[in-house]
Amino acid sequence: MTLTKPNLIKLLVPLVAFVATLFAIRSLDGSPGREAAAPGVPAAGFDDTRSADRRIASLQAAVARGTDRSAPYAALGDAYLQKARETFDPRFYARAETALREALARDRRDATALTAMGALANARHDFAAGLRFGERARAAAPGVAKPYGVIVDALVELGRYGQAERALQRMVDLKPNLDSYARVSYFRELHGDVAGAVEAMRLAASAGGDARENFAYVQTLLGNLELARGAVPAARDAYRLALSRYPRYAPAEGGLARAEAAAADLSAAIRRLRRLVARPLPEYALALAEAELAEGRRAVAREHLALVDAQHRLELRSGASADAGMAVFEADHGNRERAVALARMVWRAAPSVSAADALGWALTRAGAAAEGLVYAQRALRLGSRDPLFLYHAGIAARDAGRPGLARRHLESALTAGPRFSPYHAPRARAALADLR
Amino acid sequence: MKRLTIVAALMAIAVAVPLAIGSSHREAPLTAIDPTADDTDVYAFTAKDAPGALTVVANWVPFEDPAGGPNFYRFDERARYYINVDNTGDGKPDVRYRFKFRDRIENPESFLYALPGVSSINDPKLNVKQFYDVERLNYGYSKSASASKKGKKQKRHSRKGKSRKGKSKRKHGRKRVLRSVRTVARNIPVAPNNVGPKTIPNYDAVANEAITALPGGGKVFAGPRDDPFFVDLGMTFDAINFEGRGNLPGNRGGGKDDLAGYGVHSIVLQVPEERVTRDGDEVDSPQDRNAVVGVWASTERPRLSVLASASRRGDDDDDDRRRDSGGDWVQVSRLGNPLVNEVVIPLGQKDRFNRTTPDRDAELYGKYVVKPELAAVMNLLFGVGAPETNRLDIVQAVLQGLPGLNQHTGDPRKAKPVDTIKLNLGTPPANDPQRLGALAGDLAGYPNGRRLTDDVVDIDLRVVAGALADPKVLGSDACQAPAKCPNPIPLGDGVDVNDKPFANSFPYLPKTDSGLDSQIKRSYPLQP
Repeated sequence: MTLTKPNLIKLLVPLVAFVATLFAIRSLDGSPGREAAAPGVPAAGFDDTRSADRRIASLQAAVARGTDRSAPYAALGDAYLQKARETFDPRFYARAETALREALARDRRDATALTAMGALANARHDFAAGLRFGERARAAAPGVAKPYGVIVDALVELGRYGQAERALQRMVDLKPNLDSYARVSYFRELHGDVAGAVEAMRLAASAGGDARENFAYVQTLLGNLELARGAVPAARDAYRLALSRYPRYAPAEGGLARAEAAAADLSAAIRRLRRLVARPLPEYALALAEAELAEGRRAVAREHLALVDAQHRLELRSGASADAGMAVFEADHGNRERAVALARMVWRAAPSVSAADALGWALTRAGAAAEGLVYAQRALRLGSRDPLFLYHAGIAARDAGRPGLARRHLESALTAGPRFSPYHAPRARAALADLR
Repeated sequence: MKRLTIVAALMAIAVAVPLAIGSSHREAPLTAIDPTADDTDVYAFTAKDAPGALTVVANWVPFEDPAGGPNFYRFDERARYYINVDNTGDGKPDVRYRFKFRDRIENPESFLYALPGVSSINDPKLNVKQFYDVERLNYGYSKSASASKKGKKQKRHSRKGKSRKGKSKRKHGRKRVLRSVRTVARNIPVAPNNVGPKTIPNYDAVANEAITALPGGGKVFAGPRDDPFFVDLGMTFDAINFEGRGNLPGNRGGGKDDLAGYGVHSIVLQVPEERVTRDGDEVDSPQDRNAVVGVWASTERPRLSVLASASRRGDDDDDDRRRDSGGDWVQVSRLGNPLVNEVVIPLGQKDRFNRTTPDRDAELYGKYVVKPELAAVMNLLFGVGAPETNRLDIVQAVLQGLPGLNQHTGDPRKAKPVDTIKLNLGTPPANDPQRLGALAGDLAGYPNGRRLTDDVVDIDLRVVAGALADPKVLGSDACQAPAKCPNPIPLGDGVDVNDKPFANSFPYLPKTDSGLDSQIKRSYPLQP
């Protein structure tokens, strides 16, 4: 397929739609509650009483009557956070924050509001603040499991894994449920225990949550784990189960596309991803671009890479701080100096293993492989079996003049996930062949 | 009535993060509720058609929307569900029935719940099935030295929390032990979800195939049912807004049953009373020493070590290990009386309440009952003059049992306050059951047991307002004007009966609406 003008326009349509959505939401900011009441607008959740829209509408009515109590504001802030989760739209964060601040102005020890503020800070990548709020919530409500979730998430991202493990063990002892099981799974995955991660995520999925989105989320993560260890059929089953309960759930569709790519059905993956890029989620545009690059469709891939870039910029403009994914993207497909700058920022803010991986890869791609290898090794310090981390470390070692180490890392990458990416896996294989 | 907690929790915590941002880091949800483990209600009564048997209805998975998709609602096959019976009044389970579920997918290639035309519970067209085993656990006190040795050995293997518990189980130097675990029945089918008339044309017949007779008498049913609870939740949570419905003080109907059309997953168990009484004998009269049993439900989930996973330990199947050996479990939910968990226990204590057993209730939560926040709220809002402190009347009604009616002991001073539903198995079922139960002089109703028709919201509102308060106990301070002890103000939520009538025969609960004719407004997820 050659790229023609109409095709280019087609590619820009999703971006335009995204910007239009942002404007629509912004205009609604002035008229609270409108989006919940507008006829014909589908609600966010299947479950009527529990949908974020219903909760938002009734809680807005509750606070509109005026109250000295913190609870309705805390609950409203919380509902906005769920709304953000269901719509993938970070703009609901601002509303959440306003409501939560109202709650804390009424009761600065409201554990619900403190927990939600912590989760909000974590979502915005301000993990130090997330940890502070989480600790305050724990102090206000000792013996309650939820504040530990905020604390664990922050500690993991801050790279403080020992403390994170203790907090997480406490959380899962207090309340084994979807929330704590899913966190145990992630923690095991970070430590390279993929089978143990699958075991914990199965418990999370079996427990289920109060919204379909919760189930679809953990089921999709289960698929990702299966895919990461090369169990493509199991991964596909997990994604399809997520979709059977929560139709059109983007992360599960994205997972199916990656499973198709892993099964060497690139054209099916591309077809699926094309449907997904209509949504403002850069990871699917990136997956699409990399699948197209793998098929040798460079021109069309370039357009999708431009879309990823535009979406990243929109995110940053909406107040989110840079994340490791952005730095890795810049290192692979963008400006390598910018990648290093972004990655250093991410690393300084939160020195987690993914920040180390991003910085290591950015440095390696910018020609500073010796320093890059130091960070790449830090990314592996917990024992991660993430094929992408291992691939990055392998290339860093090669460029730093450590061929033996490079071979070992590349072999590990391809053992952990023989088809971990249609774009990177062939590169890993070629690099390994050269080294042999 | 646990869904009061749920709504409160919904108004509390459900924190989430979009994937659009931070695809490189992850935050799992902090869910508002844990539906598959969440006990919503427990009922314990003597059914008219089953005298001489204890009937228990225990419900989980609140707010099931019949149109919400049949795949969504089920028991968690990795959890364990319990109906607990305390026949001595110490708040510790003496007999427990344990329910362990497992899924079976007939065609793993399909994620359809069922193909049209399902005609029986074993029909292969019913693609997603659940089955369960029922076990019966008997507890007692060791009599011989060898048994206590065995107890010690168990203790060494258990974790910190357990050994403390083990200590508290000692009684007169004897050790409390699990005497036996017996599988009562295996591979019983769970009733399917009521998808609609095209999928399961004769739903009643198919669902009734889930009714299973137990060896030695009794029967069991598990599956989706209409939520038997009835309440005007909107009013209750809008600061008990009777005015908003124009019917203060709420005893004139006009309320809206916010649970109409919603389903739950129920376990209905009926066992001969001699299976649960303290002496294993039938109950001869309401005065019989063995007449009163305390009932509650609970749920457990597997304990998990963050880094020592089964695969790391070289253990192939953690699930099987747990199932076989009993392994390590954490109680995540329990429910006895329909007032305690949701209205009495403060948010900051709920996780702990759900972890503990009733025997420590007085010590840990007694103060919240003696000085209930709800009484103060009701006075503030309506000036009903409810006594706010020293509420031993509530302690008695809910936790100790009423003397001469459903107290375990003949001596009221010795009645231990525990959150169980206390039922006198000797009380004959009422010919004309009153929705206000014992408050209306119908002694076969709540708080003597709990029947499906008992209007526990109205009963609880009135009890908290002081319907059972005794000025001799409370002192004149508490009963000042306008407070009256007992308080005659007839509070209520205006919803007096369930939206669907109950059946006169097992499993008593009506079926849910079918997915096709669900009353609940449908809504669909916004495309991200």
